[in-house]
Amino acid sequence: MSGAKGRKYEKKMKYQPTSVTFHTGDPGGSSSKNYNGAGAQQQERKYGGVQPQRDQPWTPSSGFKPYQEQSDYRDGQTSQGFPKYITATTFAQARAAEVKAMLKAVSNKNSNSQVFQALPKHMRRRAMSSNVKRIPRRLRAIAKRELEKASQQKKEQSKNKSRKARRRHGNLLLEFNRRQRKNLWLETHIWHAKRFHMVKKWGYCLGDKPTSKCYRACYRAMTKHCLLQDLSYYCCLELTGGENELLKALARLTNRETGLTFAAVGCLSGKRQGSLVIYKADKYPLEPLGPVTFLWKPKKMSEERQLWIWFHPALKQDLIPQLKTVCQCGEPVVQSIPLPEPSTVVSTVEEMPEPVSVGCKRKRKEGTPLEEITAKKFIRERTSPPLIPACWKSQTTGIVLRDLTLEILRYRLIGPLSHSVLSDALYPASLWKIFHSQDEKHCSWWPEYCNEDNLFLHERQQNLFQLLRGIASPAEISAGTVLGLVVDDPRLTLPRKRTKSMPDLSVLPDFEKVQQLTVEGITDEASPSPIWDQAVRDCVTRSKISEQELNRMKMEILVPGSRLDLGAKESKIPILLIHQSGKLTGQECLGWGSGWDILIPKGWGMAFWISLIYRGARAGGLQEGLKHSQHKGTAHFPNDFPDCAAGVRFSGEQEKELLDKYKRRPPSKRPNYIKHGSVAPFLCPWQQLVEEWEMILKTEDERGVSEEHRGALPAPESSGEEKSKGVKVKCADEEMKTSPGAADFSILRNRTVLKQVSAWCLPTSGKGKRANRSARFSRQQIPSGAALSISAPNPRCLVWTRLSLLKKGSPTSHALICIPDPGDIQMLCADLTFCGPQEPKHKDHFKKKIKELKKKKLAASPGASCKVQGIGSSELPSKLISGLWPEPLPSITSHCTRVTIGFVLRGDFSLTAGCGEALGLVSLAGLLHMLSQQASDRKGLVLVRNPASLQYRFARIMVEV
Amino acid sequence: MAENRGGSGQSLHLKPEWEMDPAEYTLRKRLPRKLPKRRNDIYINMKTNFRTQLTRCQKLLDSGQFTDICIHGLGLAVHRAINIALQLQANSFGELQISANTSTVELVDDLEPEVDHAERITQIRSNSAIHIRVFHAASKA
Repeated sequence: MSGAKGRKYEKKMKYQPTSVTFHTGDPGGSSSKNYNGAGAQQQERKYGGVQPQRDQPWTPSSGFKPYQEQSDYRDGQTSQGFPKYITATTFAQARAAEVKAMLKAVSNKNSNSQVFQALPKHMRRRAMSSNVKRIPRRLRAIAKRELEKASQQKKEQSKNKSRKARRRHGNLLLEFNRRQRKNLWLETHIWHAKRFHMVKKWGYCLGDKPTSKCYRACYRAMTKHCLLQDLSYYCCLELTGGENELLKALARLTNRETGLTFAAVGCLSGKRQGSLVIYKADKYPLEPLGPVTFLWKPKKMSEERQLWIWFHPALKQDLIPQLKTVCQCGEPVVQSIPLPEPSTVVSTVEEMPEPVSVGCKRKRKEGTPLEEITAKKFIRERTSPPLIPACWKSQTTGIVLRDLTLEILRYRLIGPLSHSVLSDALYPASLWKIFHSQDEKHCSWWPEYCNEDNLFLHERQQNLFQLLRGIASPAEISAGTVLGLVVDDPRLTLPRKRTKSMPDLSVLPDFEKVQQLTVEGITDEASPSPIWDQAVRDCVTRSKISEQELNRMKMEILVPGSRLDLGAKESKIPILLIHQSGKLTGQECLGWGSGWDILIPKGWGMAFWISLIYRGARAGGLQEGLKHSQHKGTAHFPNDFPDCAAGVRFSGEQEKELLDKYKRRPPSKRPNYIKHGSVAPFLCPWQQLVEEWEMILKTEDERGVSEEHRGALPAPESSGEEKSKGVKVKCADEEMKTSPGAADFSILRNRTVLKQVSAWCLPTSGKGKRANRSARFSRQQIPSGAALSISAPNPRCLVWTRLSLLKKGSPTSHALICIPDPGDIQMLCADLTFCGPQEPKHKDHFKKKIKELKKKKLAASPGASCKVQGIGSSELPSKLISGLWPEPLPSITSHCTRVTIGFVLRGDFSLTAGCGEALGLVSLAGLLHMLSQQASDRKGLVLVRNPASLQYRFARIMVEV
Repeated sequence: MAENRGGSGQSLHLKPEWEMDPAEYTLRKRLPRKLPKRRNDIYINMKTNFRTQLTRCQKLLDSGQFTDICIHGLGLAVHRAINIALQLQANSFGELQISANTSTVELVDDLEPEVDHAERITQIRSNSAIHIRVFHAASKA
């Protein structure tokens, strides 16, 4: 009997007395014997412990006498099988023992199953678990008892408040407040929670992915229509101060080598949004913090400048201290000091819900809709942050640093039709007409704002916004432009049903003007918006008419469905539209995934969200954002930044998660990564990789030098003279570099070097590649001196690369990127259907160790278990998990038959490209080493192998700048 | 470079002798302007297989929904568009006729600055395009 079968049998036989089972195997018995012996017993066993009373008459002494005489009685058995005589006493004794055993077996219930579950199939009935009367009468008593017991247990768990009480407005609000004490909710939380899988990340509750199956639908929305994302969890920091002071302070965090900085002309005028990677102060190229986007307030007469820095919340804990040191900001300031207006605003808002119970009562009676509550809640929560300071001021530089997180909401629209969605959803504010004296109560900012200059600006912005309708795709506008706007309340123009907005073909826009817009972009006169002013923002937030009131007014309208005219009470909302560029790099699908970001003052989240959704935008979560960046070929923070602190934290969490998932499966049902030759399937050991490549290059150089000394032929890839020169440079560099932080690596972000590497990666004899495009960077055979000059100053650098698979296969994360052997490439040339080489199966040496350990433990478990365990743990420093390499990892580069140069960060089948695509990081030294050895027409070919597979697949490597 | 700095910093039509300095700028081409598309418009590209595009046109013609179809080709795809139209005509045993129009399409290139002091430049470049109408000979009358 096999193991599993045996165990099953054992379990079945657990409560069966041994004497009875023994009888069935009696060699001397004939087949007829089963009628009174084993056969009957087997039947009993099937019935389990349910019918002891009825089974009794079955015992052989009464029912089956003639047969018994034939069979089971050993004393008088002859060779023919017929007993000559029966001794009554012994016979009765034997039977009595059997009966006893049977009764025992029958009375023992073998699990915690309920009575009806033990019935045979043909006696089961529907609804037996709830209705006692469906159970056979003789079992009813037992079943009733069981039912009562279960119901008692249930009652104890029930909540102390009724559902009605819990759903009452005030209680609900309290409950919501309690639930978001740890993780904040966005304004659209409840909308999302109904439709999305929510995750708690970075101090927020965020929608991960929709519960509906919509992978492709979301992709289609991104490509053809519009995908909407709530990015309000992004943090916003506001820096105010003199332009020179700000630039001087921020210059310490950035470097010109990585591209544009805060001082870029286009961004400084406030016309464009910029993006860059921030480093720790004066630490470039080591210790990057992460990517940020920034936006300058358009210049006015005054000297004071305002700058918003937007970044991911994972970055917050690293970035704010850095900014504080750079700006020399001291202790936090109480909010009332820097700006007098906001403090008053804050206090009033704080007071509103709390002081008297009148307001609460009224609300409770009327039952405000959920969105309203959350909005209210947010206003209160965010303006009175418990203990966390949100404002810092520097005495020396005069820079004020303020945390505007959740003060301004940010929605992202991705896709070609985001134009028409926006232009359908938003209506530029109607101008101020003189009204009666109602406006004092409503503290509207709009009448004051409507002066001569601003009206001119408003009209201009309005015209531009209407022109946008004529542009088919956001990819046709220059990247990063900013358009300020003041719009009407979007709830007033909400359609009755969800519609899908399409570009209107009947109204052709002015071609000339559109052409001008696409070429010139939005001019910087159109970018200012009152949203920059905190007082205006607060006023807008406060003056929002509640949903319920609005609905009531809508109800009272004479012509149902017509537009509500609120007159002076209507709020005008200042917003900011920021263009997001699509795919910029690479050859294919240029401009894919472009769209608009919309910035809204807080409190208005749901109003805008619903209005955008009602125009046919599809909502996406974190996963969709990840996919968007993957198809776009850009790195996503914090997933793809393993050199940043936030990236390290992320990969640590990811490893834990993956390991837990791996350990949940039994060893036979999960891949044995040791046998697959995957050393680190859950966490890429970047540090070890770069160190090993540094060593490889060093030894190679030394070999080259020594060969030259002996007068031997120089190495084929490079001449010895250049090499020795390179070595000298490198050694000097290393001495310099390794002393401060030996255990460090960074991702290469120097744009000139990246451009050079990118040019080298392309095959030289490709079709349709124009020479002038990269005339400066020669794509000929890499001069080894140049290669060394690049890799020498950056010995521990990684390069972001994009891989696209030549044939089938889709790479997963943590897949290996390897250098193909010359033989592999020859095979590929010879046979076009050649998929790739195979890795031979590795041997798992640890399996034996684990087995031994287990045996030892088992053997020692009854006696001195603790002692053996102590020995075991001392023998093996880290815990052994079958199928995974224990902690001191072997050499990564040379572990497999092909030399590893890097790992894949994220990979999937790309619906845009129609093949497997991946974003990976490779060691710069390894990449250059590979490129220098490859033939010119097959340059940039690598092998990719998933951690749970032995098959290598060919891929083209691209460095995109 | 001097002419780029003046005024708003954007020169639309650059002199031919001006050459971009790759240290200061990166060239990024924008996609051609997307125009509203009818069901019987076919845009030819160089990425899709020739035969596939040919069968697509043939199917549209054979479906009977349209009396004519328009084949558009831009730049490198002009000759392929011509090829497809001619193939369609040759395969139809004289039933189909073609009429071609040429045009010029203005394309936009962005010159993204690499250094802080440089302004972003947008320039317009022209490319030739062809629009071939393929129609049934009988329907013309």
